[in-house]
Amino acid sequence: MATLGRGGFAFVAVATLLLAGTPVRAGQPTEQLRVEIEQVIKVLDDPELKKDGNANARRAAVRRIANEIFDFGETAKRSLARHWTSRTPMEREEFVQLFADLLERSYISKIELYGGEKVDYVGETIDGDQATIKTKITTKQGTEIPIDYRMLKRGDKWLVYDVIIEGVSLVANYRSQFNKIIVTSSYAELVKKMRDKQEEFYGVEKQKRTSQR
Amino acid sequence: MERTRVNITVGLFVVLGVLALGYLSVKLGRVSFLGGGGYVVFAEFPSVGGLKPGSTVEIAGVEVGRVESIRLKNYEALVTLRIDSGVKLQEDSIASIKTKGLIGERYLRLSPGGSDKIIEPGGRIREVEAPVDFEELLSKYIFGKV
Repeated sequence: MATLGRGGFAFVAVATLLLAGTPVRAGQPTEQLRVEIEQVIKVLDDPELKKDGNANARRAAVRRIANEIFDFGETAKRSLARHWTSRTPMEREEFVQLFADLLERSYISKIELYGGEKVDYVGETIDGDQATIKTKITTKQGTEIPIDYRMLKRGDKWLVYDVIIEGVSLVANYRSQFNKIIVTSSYAELVKKMRDKQEEFYGVEKQKRTSQR
Repeated sequence: MERTRVNITVGLFVVLGVLALGYLSVKLGRVSFLGGGGYVVFAEFPSVGGLKPGSTVEIAGVEVGRVESIRLKNYEALVTLRIDSGVKLQEDSIASIKTKGLIGERYLRLSPGGSDKIIEPGGRIREVEAPVDFEELLSKYIFGKV
């Protein structure tokens, strides 16, 4: 789970991509990503949404933009990898939903820690319908974290399907975790685990909210 | 007569010894004649840190091929892999450079994907993970806080 933790940390950075990037002949996917990330930051910096009572509205706003940026279906498919092919359409749909919840759970609390980190767009390579956007987050302490976004072209929109932080791929991380669970127990067990975690998380969230009152 | 027989026996032993040595050096040196079997795929890494020609390529810990060569291309590392012909790689397979144990040798791990498309011989693995450089990470957390 150590990778997950680190992934979480860096996801702060994902959310923190900032205007500071130098606009050096950036291509289409970079431009698109930049705009979307600026939207996330705007939401996170909104003083109205920062108030305690508005935590849910803030989350909903971030989630809405995240749905624009990410292709959760593709990420889920790639993470489940060869086990994806033997799933029925219904199972697939359910899994994508659970996986999106899992990502949200893992990262949303981190994303809310955003504190003015700086983002540079370092480079872009396009290869057919795939693109890699290299970015670099600089924290206030001056630590630099390289984050690469892997994007796929869907229609005329570029969607992110993998995030590579410090060289560690999100899809690769989940792929090996899911594979281990499915091989040692079963797919049903994996779904059960994910569902339990989700319910547990909402339980804790509810408690937090009631205790705050 | 007796002498000739002894000579022939000794000669045979010497020839056998040379053959055994040849076999050993081929086996240990992992030399492949005529390019070896299997097919070739390419992968580009920002850095290969410690991966060498002859390093193993594994799926689930099972050797399925070897690194044939590593060249520099646009200041990135272009790795040529020779994969056993029975092994099919999906288009979304991920190639990661990993370390055996904490300080062991580097090897290339492939994690099979779920795509219907298969990488053709001479094709490219597009999803790659460069090795994690522990020294760099360490120095980041040591010197990071300026």
